[in-house]
Amino acid sequence: MADVALTSKAARWANGQALLGVFAAAALVWTLVGAGAQGLAFYWIMGMAFGFVFQRSRLCFTAAFRDLFLMQDGRLMRAVLAGLAIATVGFTVVMMDLLPRTGFGSVPSGAHVSPVGIHLIAGGLLFGFGMVVAGGCVSGSLYRVGEGYVASWAAVAGMLLGLELGSHTWNWWWSFSMGGGPVLWLPNYLGYGGSVTLVLAALAALYLTVLWWESRRPPLLAWSPPREPASAGVGAHLRSEARKVFVHGWPALAGGVALAGLNILLFVDDHPLGVTGELAVWADRAAGLVQLSAPPFIGEVLAGCNLVLMQGASWLTDTFFLDTGLVFGSFVAALGAREFKLRFPREKRRYLQSVGGGVFMGYGATIAIGCTIGAFFSAIPSLSVSGWIFAAALLGGSYLGVKALRFLP
Amino acid sequence: MKLDVRGEICPYPMMKATAALKKLKDGDDLEVVTDHPPALSTIPWEAAKMGYRAEIEEAARSEWRITLRKAEGALDPMQVMSQLSDVISRAS
Repeated sequence: MADVALTSKAARWANGQALLGVFAAAALVWTLVGAGAQGLAFYWIMGMAFGFVFQRSRLCFTAAFRDLFLMQDGRLMRAVLAGLAIATVGFTVVMMDLLPRTGFGSVPSGAHVSPVGIHLIAGGLLFGFGMVVAGGCVSGSLYRVGEGYVASWAAVAGMLLGLELGSHTWNWWWSFSMGGGPVLWLPNYLGYGGSVTLVLAALAALYLTVLWWESRRPPLLAWSPPREPASAGVGAHLRSEARKVFVHGWPALAGGVALAGLNILLFVDDHPLGVTGELAVWADRAAGLVQLSAPPFIGEVLAGCNLVLMQGASWLTDTFFLDTGLVFGSFVAALGAREFKLRFPREKRRYLQSVGGGVFMGYGATIAIGCTIGAFFSAIPSLSVSGWIFAAALLGGSYLGVKALRFLP
Repeated sequence: MKLDVRGEICPYPMMKATAALKKLKDGDDLEVVTDHPPALSTIPWEAAKMGYRAEIEEAARSEWRITLRKAEGALDPMQVMSQLSDVISRAS
């Protein structure tokens, strides 16, 4: 009984901390709305929702690719594929409204469709390698920052460095590959019906392939904390339901579905999720302090995924609130589940490893025009060919990353 | 033998636990302390493949102790994992 009392006291403490976080977030919403910035308040709430879902489901894109090789486990990859299928249907409905007539070479505004070429393959390989070495991709590292993984802070620092290096070489990559690369948007060739059918069929085929890959071993079970003793009453029932959402880890599949839903909502508003562009802005502003800003980019830019920096523009952009909201949402979710803890790597070389992986990721994300979110999770549902090529390169890069892990004890 | 993998990044808790199991003396147990929740499903799984049964207990806030003990004969990993989830849900 003493244990139960202790547990409920700890649970109340956790609830109190999480509630404080929610109040702080609500105060920011109140301030933004009061200042007439409803749009920014929307992105802050959406960022928090993404962070909450990432933390609760621990949907990690790095592990989705890596564990296929490391443990022959495809749980996370199957959740990602299911999320992609749902987002594909949702994005298509949005795009049909934005651009009813296809076949004229144009692409709906906001859709993540980018040129195909060597830059995409090189970027995917570098990114896939970097994320495995650093132990998390861009979104993964951001939500782990919120959970208190100090090594992920180092990974984010590495990313900023890599993004800035990338920004300095952007113009070379543009003339070498991006500028001349074809922008392949499936509906221009197959119409909406044909494109959706093809993408869903490909996702289903991959789902089955992953199941086959796993078939020689049964699936991993997710661990969840001990359940509260069953007791009668509506209150106890509600509490136990609430614990499923706020305390127990979600199945990966629930995370994939929820992320797809949130991403569709973002696209209905304006454009799907992209997280690296904002980080590139931070990196370039920091570089500017020591007179090392990147030269102006030639060519097009894709909102959310690459450097969009206007002189004298405010810090407080929609992507700023998406990225910071993601970290804060994960922080609040971790507090409520009693999972927040500052985790310092014991071995100093791990910091170096995270920074190094981050540099690879940052550079890769610049030349691929996006990360696992913008160039993959938002690109495949945009019916872009670029998402598929990036995914294949990510898989190759992850394989190399797993090989490298064996040499990094 | 004790193994402290607190603070480690993914996937090192699992990799270090399996490496330690390979070096473990016969009849010895391995006690792994971790603060990385995903390791609670990956460590028992990899251990089961090597013939070890796992017990999980919460050691502190966001910290768990996984005790790995050699089982008699061959283990069916799937069975081990489902028994583990039973133990966990009955632990309350």
